[in-house]
Amino acid sequence: MTMPVPVSTATTLADLTRRSGLDVLDHLEREVAIPVVDGLQAQGDLIVVPYAFVARAVNPLTTMWQEVPAEGVELLRSAAGGNPHTLVADPGTCRWTREIRDTMGLALGMIETSAVAYLIHPEHGGTGIAPGRYVVRRQRERDTERVGRFGNLGDRMIAD
Amino acid sequence: MSALRAGAHRVASARRLSDEWRAHGLAARPADRPAAEAAVAALYRLIDAPAPDFVWAPSPTAALALVHDDPRTFPPVRFRSPNLPRRPGDWPVAARLANLVQSQRRSLDRALGRTESWHYEWQRLDTIAEQALNAGVPVPRIVDMVVRDALNTTLRNCVRAPMRAELTPTTGGTDGMTWYGQHDAHWIGHYDVHARLGLAAYRRPDAELLALLAELARSTGWWWPGEGRCVMAERPTEIHTEPLPGALNGERRLHRDEGPAVRFADDTQIHVLHGTHVPTWVTTDPTVERVHAERNVEVRRSAIERIGWDTYIAQAGLRRIAAAGDPGNPGSALHLYDVPPGLWRRPARLLLVVNGSVEPDGSHRRYGLSVPAYFTDPVAAAGWTYGLSGEHYARLVRRT
Repeated sequence: MTMPVPVSTATTLADLTRRSGLDVLDHLEREVAIPVVDGLQAQGDLIVVPYAFVARAVNPLTTMWQEVPAEGVELLRSAAGGNPHTLVADPGTCRWTREIRDTMGLALGMIETSAVAYLIHPEHGGTGIAPGRYVVRRQRERDTERVGRFGNLGDRMIAD
Repeated sequence: MSALRAGAHRVASARRLSDEWRAHGLAARPADRPAAEAAVAALYRLIDAPAPDFVWAPSPTAALALVHDDPRTFPPVRFRSPNLPRRPGDWPVAARLANLVQSQRRSLDRALGRTESWHYEWQRLDTIAEQALNAGVPVPRIVDMVVRDALNTTLRNCVRAPMRAELTPTTGGTDGMTWYGQHDAHWIGHYDVHARLGLAAYRRPDAELLALLAELARSTGWWWPGEGRCVMAERPTEIHTEPLPGALNGERRLHRDEGPAVRFADDTQIHVLHGTHVPTWVTTDPTVERVHAERNVEVRRSAIERIGWDTYIAQAGLRRIAAAGDPGNPGSALHLYDVPPGLWRRPARLLLVVNGSVEPDGSHRRYGLSVPAYFTDPVAAAGWTYGLSGEHYARLVRRT
């Protein structure tokens, strides 16, 4: 479900910047309307999964969560080192940990946020994450060259 | 002049200065060797080292060969306790320079008020600067957006990162410590612009050091300081870029269709298509066989786009077995293809997916992902790529 966003409607950033002149100014009066999502959402090869979806597969291994710092947390960069997916939030509202167990081996971390947090990417733009607990996972594909030694392995992370 | 008009004036100046620094970062003309050598010699003086000899190389690749061949001039800069130098003066020049600049940056950050407790107004990231100003966002934060963030995106993420991936080997000897000259312009420009707009006053030694680093960012390519000798690389002879999609502050990414996006005088080349760093074969000779041997999904996509998706599907002999709407990605479909035996070394199917975000020309990027051969439902196959069931993936709200 898409949540209501302050001031403007759920117009996306890309829509806004494609428009010109006054039209853009009208829509950008106070805030950019980045849609805020409280369910499952994907940004390229990352996916933000409500914890309830994967509660049986994913568990935190620590009680020591870290606050998302002012400059944000880089969750993943491309193979060439550019294009980071960055998690940002108001200081004191969002904490996260990489120390988790995921039976699928895809989780990068778990997020717990009490206010809207944002996932920002230079090419995909921004997306809002509604308050709640989520797991951030990477995307995988079948390794087309070899079968893993233990049968069920032999998948690989999406490299980009 | 009202505060708002003063702010607008500063933002306009910040844009102009950001453009200037970006131009230095993207400059493709010969280095100003006398200026660069004078600045490096002055840096050596600051750490009480005699001025070095200078060796110029036509590219970072050629420069790194000189560095790797000379471990006495370029000793390792990472220490463990057994080989830790006893006195500060015994540390390699590269390490002492790095320490000097690191403590200077801490001092500059303090002058800007950027201490541990600094809180960004990050919600306004991706906002048009002039609108953010009217909305009451503080001028220094807007200047950060227009200068630091934009230059960081262009020079660090979109230019330097693919150049590093191509030019710096991931194995082999130490490369001492690389300084990036024009490709350090993002952080040097950030401090410089705040001072030039009157938003910060730095201690005199910090301002002098910053001026030397700014001189290097304006005059040269990458460089490696060693004991008594400094290896300097020339700037590229060509850099080709295009605007980053959705850029609000002049952000650009590397791109060139018909040849290397970056080229040096010794014909060292870096191929980049719409920001994606690719091997040379993608631009010169993309084939279905090479696509299927490639592990990087963006490289595969770029190569298939050169071949054309329809031609690729026909040449690879892919047979479509199912299609479904992509949940959370309105107007886009997921296509599942059967792959002829022998194309890959194990049975698998190909899932064709569409990017959620739009390219500047209005198109959406498409990607081919390999999935287990047992899937018949594209939605279930897409869910599998994230470790989710088809039922869960069907609840995808939004894809960007």
